[in-house]
Amino acid sequence: MNSLAFATIKELQEKLDKKEISHEELLDFFIKRFNEHDGKVDSALEIFDKDSILKECNAEGPLKGIPGIFKDNICQEGRIVSCASKILENFVSTYDATATKRLKKSGAVILGRANCDEFGMGSSTETSAYKKTKNPWDLSRVPGGSSGGSAAAVAAGLVPWSLGTDTGASVRQPAAFCGAVGIKPTYGLVSRYGLVAYGSSLDQIGVITRSVYGSALIFSHIAGHDMRDSSSLFVNKKDYTANLTGRLKEGLRIGVIEDALNAEGMDSEIAAAVEASVSTLEQLGAKVKRISMKTLDYSAAAYFVISRAEAASNLARYDGVRYGMRAKDSDTLYDMYLNTRHDGFGEEVKTRMMVGNYVLSAGHAGQFYDNAKRVQNLIRHEFKTIFNDVDLLIMPTHPMPAFKLGAFDTDKLQMDLQDYFTCPMNLAGIPAISLPCGFTKKDNLPIGFQLIGPHLSEELIFQTAFAYEKNTSWHTMHPNDFK
Amino acid sequence: MIKISKEEVLKIAAMTRVSLRDDEIDGMRKHLESVLSYAERVQEIAADIEEPSNKNVNVFREDVVMKNDSEKILDQAVEREENYFVVPVILENR
Repeated sequence: MNSLAFATIKELQEKLDKKEISHEELLDFFIKRFNEHDGKVDSALEIFDKDSILKECNAEGPLKGIPGIFKDNICQEGRIVSCASKILENFVSTYDATATKRLKKSGAVILGRANCDEFGMGSSTETSAYKKTKNPWDLSRVPGGSSGGSAAAVAAGLVPWSLGTDTGASVRQPAAFCGAVGIKPTYGLVSRYGLVAYGSSLDQIGVITRSVYGSALIFSHIAGHDMRDSSSLFVNKKDYTANLTGRLKEGLRIGVIEDALNAEGMDSEIAAAVEASVSTLEQLGAKVKRISMKTLDYSAAAYFVISRAEAASNLARYDGVRYGMRAKDSDTLYDMYLNTRHDGFGEEVKTRMMVGNYVLSAGHAGQFYDNAKRVQNLIRHEFKTIFNDVDLLIMPTHPMPAFKLGAFDTDKLQMDLQDYFTCPMNLAGIPAISLPCGFTKKDNLPIGFQLIGPHLSEELIFQTAFAYEKNTSWHTMHPNDFK
Repeated sequence: MIKISKEEVLKIAAMTRVSLRDDEIDGMRKHLESVLSYAERVQEIAADIEEPSNKNVNVFREDVVMKNDSEKILDQAVEREENYFVVPVILENR
């Protein structure tokens, strides 16, 4: 039966169609996988009981019976959504997020809630108030973050797909650290209705899988306009697997962002693996151009300011009045606010809210927030200019492989800088996918690179990613402890 | 390098509505200084650019009453009386 653990979604669908296995047997199998193996990686905050799963997820649809897990900041009606925070420890969602609703309607089966950094704020899943998720490739290392539970569960073969969310890196970096495929869509292509807000102008729900086909398939079921999200784009639902021909688009032009490969602190093995991916695509017929990106070195700074400012505003709602945690024994309402938010939020969340309020405050907004928005405009403009000459861009997903748990406990800025290669796309609102492209020689840790495109170029991104995957074997490697 | 005083940390904490214990203040001060000192570089290239244009548009929908069960929400209140949330005293007795 272990061949099921790392089977692709397509293979699982075939087995179900041929009735080699029943929907219920498949569900039993993956619940058992979690029971037997999740103690090693701690990817899940909760695996629901089988009866309630069958009651919630029983629709007939193209994804019928295919199990997945959701990052714990996406609402599922009647289930806890804690954002891995103490402040929402017992908060039960009263409605389904649009992504949840659409996947349930397509027949997908949602097994549980995956661990993450508190409110999506972190790059290692260590800021979760509940547990520290480990990297399935090396249990002494982090899975990345903030969607670390979602990535670790997929990489360990506990589930074939998961949803994560990406504000600055949070789908792509954990996917890269765990050797998985992670897509951050165009801003507005996937509804944010029912996604607990962190940085609303940057947040997008994305998919983590072990293969490109699975990514495009699950994505097809969550993308498309939703009237409940006013930033949702008027794009109809479509089948993103339709164009997976295994060949590149005729005359595909790819730009390689040189500044990224030459960036300070860039691991030489990662740079070499990304260069090898460029060569593979070149051999497949792509025309490659070397590109310089002037704004790259300013993106993380602009991202820090904008995301923290939005976080400060979004998280003001957790005040202990209407739901969630309330600190006991406060004499006045004001003290209750202060104590609830002190006890309910972890250090990282508190810091980000305070940075946000600082950069928005009188006397500092001009220096920080206004200038960050100007830099954001520059980044958008630079991408637009670059995409006049090339169809897609390539950049590493991360400067270093998965690091040890606790590695950045005393250097928080270095942790924050994990977003360096990924946040420009959130600031520009453009899509990017992270694909596995090798392993480090010394520690056998996964390496990932990004394919980046202009607004709404997801079909081209998936087509190119699929052709790349078909000509490489990285996606077929799985961590030994979980085979 | 941005310098932040202890008083500033406490002022921002109050704006953020979080209390800080005495032993938490210095760590927070250093953390804020390091993030803000890095973020300061946005000034370097932003200097000569116009303010970003505001391209946001309003999205309208029909104003239709949708049925919602408020009980499911009120049910999660920490403390309630009928349809009200109960909170500690707002104004101190002096």
